[in-house]
This record gives sequence, structure tokens and C-alpha cells, in this order.
Amino acid sequence: MATRRFLRALCRHAAAGADLVSLRRHFGAVTSIRSRSIIRPAIEQEKSLRHRDLWLLSSRRFCSVKTPEDDDMEDEYEEGEGGGDVDEVSDGEMAAGSRPHKREYTPEEKEAEASEIGYKVIGPLERSDRVFKAYEPVFAVVQIGSHQFKLSNRDCIFTERLKFCEVNDKVILNKVLLLGSPAQTIVGRPIVPEASVHAVVEEHALDAKVIIFKKKRRKNYRRTKGHRQELTKLRITDIRGIEKPEIPITKEKPVKVALKQEKVAEAA
Amino acid sequence: MALRGVWQLQKLVVSYCNWGGSSRGIRAFMETELPAFQEKNPQLEIVPELIRGQHPHLKAFYKNKNQRVVCVKNMTPDDILLHATRLRNALGRKVVKLKTRHVTKHPSVQGTWSTALKF
Repeated sequence: MATRRFLRALCRHAAAGADLVSLRRHFGAVTSIRSRSIIRPAIEQEKSLRHRDLWLLSSRRFCSVKTPEDDDMEDEYEEGEGGGDVDEVSDGEMAAGSRPHKREYTPEEKEAEASEIGYKVIGPLERSDRVFKAYEPVFAVVQIGSHQFKLSNRDCIFTERLKFCEVNDKVILNKVLLLGSPAQTIVGRPIVPEASVHAVVEEHALDAKVIIFKKKRRKNYRRTKGHRQELTKLRITDIRGIEKPEIPITKEKPVKVALKQEKVAEAA
Repeated sequence: MALRGVWQLQKLVVSYCNWGGSSRGIRAFMETELPAFQEKNPQLEIVPELIRGQHPHLKAFYKNKNQRVVCVKNMTPDDILLHATRLRNALGRKVVKLKTRHVTKHPSVQGTWSTALKF
């Protein structure tokens, strides 16, 4: 801590435009090698610092929110100290961690690329499409992000929140690792090309709250944190890329009709 | 939040107070973002309700007769829009910890493996 205070004061003086000599005079004999090595890069960098950085160096920080520049500065001037405070602040996430960062993906290509990382393609919204078919005995092993699922028609999956699709969107999952039916199995290496699984986004919801409780006994340390994961529920509608066996349905209906007619006849 | 294409949120009651300071955000939300939200979701019935002297909240009524209440006191209009969108995106189901991430009625296609099975 004392080292950090010393370094801060040093940087303030350096930013103010002091010489090495005057710095040495002010801070007394600087004997440690570490601080000596810091002074030179500090002075060198001071020349290349922008106005904003000078302000950052010279003024005290009262705000607890760390900007990426602030973290970089700390990294440079705190050699050897544990970087436990330096968090990876990405995309301007502020202190409220649950708020999603509002980065605008202006070109649609970027959205497509990002969605390919999650192996999904957004199709158009549904408008009176007959997408929800009867069950077919076909399965596919699909990867979404880092999770793999064995999917069949008509079942539901909870994945991490898929960013670029709204509720009631049709989604195509591209990364199919295995396809199977009662007669045939197609193994991908690692993906089966031209195979796809169609799904519909049912909901974007938050999972139940999980309380993360940390305690170190006899050390007066206790932390409680609540966490709700954002999930997406997908309903699988179609699996393409494999021949589906034909299911004989017509046999069932006449039997039921006959039974009903008999019952009606009995009642009458 | 759509089960097989059917939207689950039927009604959204926006309760606010026209005097209190905690309703400032929701009053701004009703002026700026609520009309756009209403246009995006024509299937949704949005009812503004005046409750004087009380904190504002959003009440969601789902098709499975489930209600969800979110208190929006002292929130910015952006936060309120986020909560309203979340209510619209969710099914009315009870928020319970998930047992499995994969819900299916037909777990096996080629037959369940057992030790007695011989290929």
C-alpha cells in the first residue's frame, strides 16, 4: 500500500513536469531497484501521455468504477503486485453487473458472425407456418456454444441466452455432430455438412436465483451474492439431413372410430 | 414467451403514482417508451393504472393464470423497459431451479442400451 501511495505521488509529480533530479530530491534516496526501474518508464511515458492520461495520473480517483484505461495504468505502474483488483472490463460494463452492455451491432454481417459462433442462424418470424409436427423417431447431436444436446423432434432445450434472436423466432442450428434414426446413423467429422436442426425460440427467461455464499471461518469474512442466469428455451421442430422412416398412422384412426360407433350404438 | 407460437403474456398493468418521486421513472417511461412497446406487441393488453401514494409496479398476467409483480420504484425508463421486455419474454411458469436442461418425452430413438443388448 505504501508502495502504491508512493508511486501515485511520483506519477503526479512526473505528470506535473518535474525532472528526475528534482524527483529524487523530493522523494529522498530511492534505493530499491523496482522503483528505479519504474521512474524511467514513468518519465518516458509521461511525454507520450495524452491530456486525459495526465489528468488521470494527477487527480485522485473518487469513483470506484474502473475504466479500461485506469486498469491499464494500474497494470503498468504496479509491477509484481497481485493484480487481483484489475478486472477485465469489457464493453463498458458498469458497476451494475446484471445490465447487459448495449453495443450496437450495426452491420448485419456482424450479427451473423456472432451468431455463427453460437452455431445458430436466425430465420424469419413465424407467420401461420405449420412448424410443430408429430414426433419422428430421428435424433441429432447438436452443439450450441460449448454445450451439446441429443435432440429429437418436439423437445425443449434450455441454453445460455442467445443474443440475437427474439421470442417466436425460427433458429437453425448448424453444428450437427451426429444424426440417427432406427435404420441409419450418420457420424460427423466433426460436423455433418448440410445437416441442420430447426428450432423455435420459446422464451428468454431468468433462472431461479442461486446464492453464492463465501465464508472463511474465524477470519471475519462473509460474502453473499445472488445470481440469476439468463436462459433461452428452444423447441425443436425439425431435423434435416437424414432419411426419416415413415410412420403408419392410418391404422389407429379407424380402430378408434369403430370403438366410438359401438359405444354410441350401445348407449342408444 | 410463446408456447408453440401462442403468446403467454395476456395483460400488463402499469401502476404508477402521479405525485410520488419513486414514480418519476415510470412516468417518463409511459411518455417515451410505452407507446413503442405497445406497438411492438399488439397481442398484449397494456393497462395503465393510477395508484396514488404508492410505489409503482408492473403486474403481468399470464395465460396459465400466473401473476408476476415487479416493483419499479426509483428506476430509470431504460430499466423499466428491460423489466417489461423480460416479463413479455417469459412464460408464466413458476421460477424453479431447472432439473434438466433437456426436456423430452421420447428419450430414445434406437432403443435404450442395456447390458443384455447384443448388436
